Amino acid sequence: MSGLTPTNGDFDLPSAMRAALAAYSGGPGSGKGTTSDLSMDEELNLHSIGWEPVEFVSGLSVYSTPPMTWTWGQGEISAASYSHQQAFSTAMARLHREAAAAGAHGVVGVEVERTIHASHTEISLMGTAVRPVGSAPIDAERVFTSDLSARDFTLLMVAGWEPLGLAAGASFVFAPRRSMGAVLSQQTQNVELTNFTEAMYSARETAMERMQSAALAMHGTGVVEVKVFEGPMYFASHAVGFTAWGTVVRLREDEHRRVSPTMVVSVDDDDVLFRAETLG
Amino acid sequence: MANEKSDLPEATGHRLEELEKGLFTSDLSVNEFLLVKEAGFHPVGFVMGSSIYHIGIQTRKWGQSQELTKLTEAMYNARELAMTRMEEEAAELGADGVVGVRLDVNYYEWGSDAAEFIAVGTAVKAEDGVSRLNALGKPFTSDLSGQDFWTLNQTGYAPQGLVMGTCVYHIAHRGLGATLGSAGKNVELPNFTQALYEARELAMTRMQDEANRLGASGIVGVRLEEKSHQWGSHTIEFLALGTAVDKTGAPLTLTRPTTIISLDN
Repeated sequence: MSGLTPTNGDFDLPSAMRAALAAYSGGPGSGKGTTSDLSMDEELNLHSIGWEPVEFVSGLSVYSTPPMTWTWGQGEISAASYSHQQAFSTAMARLHREAAAAGAHGVVGVEVERTIHASHTEISLMGTAVRPVGSAPIDAERVFTSDLSARDFTLLMVAGWEPLGLAAGASFVFAPRRSMGAVLSQQTQNVELTNFTEAMYSARETAMERMQSAALAMHGTGVVEVKVFEGPMYFASHAVGFTAWGTVVRLREDEHRRVSPTMVVSVDDDDVLFRAETLG
Repeated sequence: MANEKSDLPEATGHRLEELEKGLFTSDLSVNEFLLVKEAGFHPVGFVMGSSIYHIGIQTRKWGQSQELTKLTEAMYNARELAMTRMEEEAAELGADGVVGVRLDVNYYEWGSDAAEFIAVGTAVKAEDGVSRLNALGKPFTSDLSGQDFWTLNQTGYAPQGLVMGTCVYHIAHRGLGATLGSAGKNVELPNFTQALYEARELAMTRMQDEANRLGASGIVGVRLEEKSHQWGSHTIEFLALGTAVDKTGAPLTLTRPTTIISLDN
């Protein structure tokens, strides 16, 4: 999107830029100055579909996890999964409220920062609140959130889709244990550890399923850019966490609009094919 | 979508059922999503397969270069298990293929002698309803990104399967005499060169064999990865990965690329 063909006449750069600059200086439709972490490119992209940034908003929630949650056990650590889910939805609600108060219809480019400690889960969401140029404020419940960049948001809208929200799912489990006998007898063998596979599989599935249920609750027809994170907890290596989140989308119009991409050859310099370095 | 013989853990059942209701999930970026649509496919779900595998032990001779067949077998088996499970999930969703496949190996602290092999990707289905299953009657798999998938599609080729070849090889240590003899000299170390050559060739040949089995006419996007995992510096896994492709239709009109000067920095 940001690569402009020098001869491209149908993209009215000056007027879009004027609009963007006007928004910065508190011009028509904004009432006051805007704050956003968008780049100039993204700002122009937004304006090309008739949207504008309103304010940089955030939502934060720290939710406690009961003590002893992480001591050795079996199966899912439901208390941890619960506090993750609570922290996420509370942070989201705050983000929505802040965005709605600023008169926005949605938040794009949301950055999800998360820290999971033994005693609490902290979720912080930050992004740029946006709205169709000059539109009236709406209820906090109707504000959408998306971790897609402003550029991706534009592309999605151009193709006839709209983001509905950020769906997340988490599941924490204890790693299963192997009996000493099994460890010894399998020492030299090539063998699948089926109970481990099942435990990890089901945890991952549970996290994904929670994300899907959240997406269905938003009446979405798809989730794009799903990110799956997994790994042991730094404070409890016998516990493994699985989290997944992504932007829920739905067709806004009757049908998908084709974007008909053009093939381009970039003449940027970043592909250096040969670089002589000092031989050490 | 009933799949008689599936070894998927039970937990997958419910997630896949939900996906059959019309919701799709995908780790494709918006760009990739739109390009996959452009190529005439619709994503149906994020699919994955995983296997936690205990890798056996094989003794190596200090001064001898050789393939460690038992370890090769383990790496093959474990990846096959993960890939097959991913394909099963895709088949269950009625998909024609899986794009953007990534193969990963994870090690957990609580099982240092075991590794988790994971395959993830986005299952896609052709919008025109024509089956795109490969020669083996399975959904095709491919590690091509959405962008590459669309471009490949424009040339009239279609991916048939993600093919791989692996070889775990032990490279001989050099004797003290040889080390001293070549000290201060510019010389090729033929035993090292040869060992690396042979291991790579074995991996590549195995990958090509897999492609032949799919009746493919070529392999694109081949990557050769060399990893020591947890075996020490002289034991290396050579993994060759690529997408086997076959010509399925006339090339669509490939327009001449436009030259752009990007304003990004």
